Amino acid sequence: MSHIVRAMGLTKRYDKTLAVAGLDLDIAEGEIFGLVGPNGAGKTTTLRILATLLVPSAGDAEIVGFSVRRNPDAVRRALGYMPDSFGVYDDMKVWEYLDFFGRCYGLSAARRRRVVADLLELVDLAPRRDAYVQTLSRGMQQRLCLAHALVHDPQVLLLDEPASGLDPRARVELRELLRELRNLGKTILISSHILPELEELCTSIAIIDRGRVLASGRVADMEQRLRVGAVLRVRVLGDGEAQAAARAWFERDPEVAAASVLDDGTVEIGFRGDDAGSARLLAEAVSAGLQVITFARAASDLEELFLQVTAVDEPVPAANGTTA
Amino acid sequence: MSATMGVAPARAGRLAVRLGRSVSRRLGGIAAIGVKELRGRMRGRRAFVVLTLYLTLIAGVAWAIQSVSERNLASSFGGSTYASAQIGQAIFGVLLLLEMVIVIILAPSFTASAISLEREKQTIDLLITTPISSLSIVLGKLLSALVYVFLIIVASVPLTALVFVYGGASPEDLVKGYLVLMVTGFGLGSVGVFLSSLARRTQAATVITYALVLLVTFGTGLVWVLWTSLGSQAPVAQSAPQQADGSGAGVVDVNQAVAAPVRPPEALLWLNPFVSIADVFCGTETGFGGTCSIIATVTGRDPNVLVTGGNGTFGGGAVAGPAPMPIAKGGVVVAPVPNVIGVAPNGQFGVAHDTFWPHAALAWLVVSFLLIAASAQLVSPTRRWRPGRPFRRKPPATDPEVARGPDEAREASS
Repeated sequence: MSHIVRAMGLTKRYDKTLAVAGLDLDIAEGEIFGLVGPNGAGKTTTLRILATLLVPSAGDAEIVGFSVRRNPDAVRRALGYMPDSFGVYDDMKVWEYLDFFGRCYGLSAARRRRVVADLLELVDLAPRRDAYVQTLSRGMQQRLCLAHALVHDPQVLLLDEPASGLDPRARVELRELLRELRNLGKTILISSHILPELEELCTSIAIIDRGRVLASGRVADMEQRLRVGAVLRVRVLGDGEAQAAARAWFERDPEVAAASVLDDGTVEIGFRGDDAGSARLLAEAVSAGLQVITFARAASDLEELFLQVTAVDEPVPAANGTTA
Repeated sequence: MSATMGVAPARAGRLAVRLGRSVSRRLGGIAAIGVKELRGRMRGRRAFVVLTLYLTLIAGVAWAIQSVSERNLASSFGGSTYASAQIGQAIFGVLLLLEMVIVIILAPSFTASAISLEREKQTIDLLITTPISSLSIVLGKLLSALVYVFLIIVASVPLTALVFVYGGASPEDLVKGYLVLMVTGFGLGSVGVFLSSLARRTQAATVITYALVLLVTFGTGLVWVLWTSLGSQAPVAQSAPQQADGSGAGVVDVNQAVAAPVRPPEALLWLNPFVSIADVFCGTETGFGGTCSIIATVTGRDPNVLVTGGNGTFGGGAVAGPAPMPIAKGGVVVAPVPNVIGVAPNGQFGVAHDTFWPHAALAWLVVSFLLIAASAQLVSPTRRWRPGRPFRRKPPATDPEVARGPDEAREASS
């Protein structure tokens, strides 16, 4: 599989602060790649460098083999970029907005007409074709902006926090849209600080913090590599005593890393095993006489992964604060 | 041999094709921006209301000038022989001035927000990530703003052509006048675009642009007057040798009266549109008109010396108007210029006009091209020339180009 997006030692320095510090990325064609990190991790800066809006202080990046330093024009033709915050022009209709970007990419009039119609269909804005852009809702503007990034049918899409500021419904629609784009064979690089958003969508992720990649790879591989199993939440019948007993019982299991009783009485278990392991654990618990009401895997595996990875690398101050 | 012969044209052809493609791509970019801008600007009634108001205004002014000068000249010395021409000239002069004022007000206002507004509204990133070059962005913005200004200018042509009813100004003069208007509009528009790409805020860009416009239109005139009056107090001996060296031995007829006063460099006033207008208007005058004397003082070319070069008939020959007309100078301080007017004519009347405005137009064009090139640099994030690099302050977060960066960095370091 060829690497369609590569970053090699990408560095961006603002005065004395390092926004991106020697970042490496390898993204294969057809992937949906999630760039995950807390606010201020350097996600946006990285995407802006890839989109040729910033010149890296050191290092280089290639999109479809073109260097962002030496050949920004070719890079611009190969990618569609959607910034995290963007404005829309006043006095412009929805179709004119897309038509304008079509002109910017030098599309012929006939092709523009077709592309505008197709894209409005794709992002579900066809009924609002003649509405003024500023009258659209935030979610619609977001979709319109996504459509603008697709006008020239780019191979690579850079989406910076595409779901920020969207209500749950718009978020679902966006996710559907991204799936559709994945099916169209686009390579998509998404940044987000909301993990569950990416979890279902992405094939690979990179966790970045302080401008460096802390961990990256295919989602499944990473879980394996970091040996993070699941977080299990168990509720048992009975009062605090029964819960404490359950916790003690679970802790004796070799595949359980840690167990604790939460405030609401749920027993939370850090579990190293796989699905078969958790089935075995449940069976043993029941046969050991524990009155299990619910037994569930916690939803956001990546979230745990994320916290774990960023916490591991957390330098002294924060760690001191919690232990002291 | 033949193979190498064949290679060269092929290469040249390929080069031409590539050149053509890049030019057409650039033009396409300019057109894209232009269409977008004009769609926004021409939508709704505003543009046409402004145009109507403007035409009403200048029509009213033209009518007022015509009726006032008709009344004045009816009873003036010399009778009505030249009255018609003088009415024509008065209308021509005032309309030209009025249009110039409109251009001076409108051209920068349309361009001073061109780039900074895109920054403020965070639309510029989307524009830059398209293959449109930053030069195309700047030119597209500038030209689309100017199209409207030029539309306003051109819409006034029929009104200005009223002059032909009265005579006194030729179609040539009209063309020259409109040329000066357009070049000035282009120049002032470039100033606006440049500051718009330099400043972070539209407000700052607008204020600085108008400050510069004031400086160019009134400031240069003021400096010129001060320079002249201060200079003429200096001993003549200091300035006279310079003049003699400069003009060389070939010129026999160095008129002492003209050479003696310290004359600020002509270039000081090149960017002053009112002086160019005066020069154009000078073309309509016969003999020693008020504006011609201004031009003569500014350029330091004695009209009587130059006119011996064979085009003596051009300025209307021996026809001298009854009296220099009062002409609104549009704020240009008319320098006291007794020296030139006081020179005894060398037997021939006539004026050497068209000596100033071509220089001025050229100067504006050069300035515009420099400003456009600088703007393109400022807009492009990848080939950016940064003015304040060595003593750069921490960029405020409002700068869209670096907005996220320092924020992120700051958050990361906290």
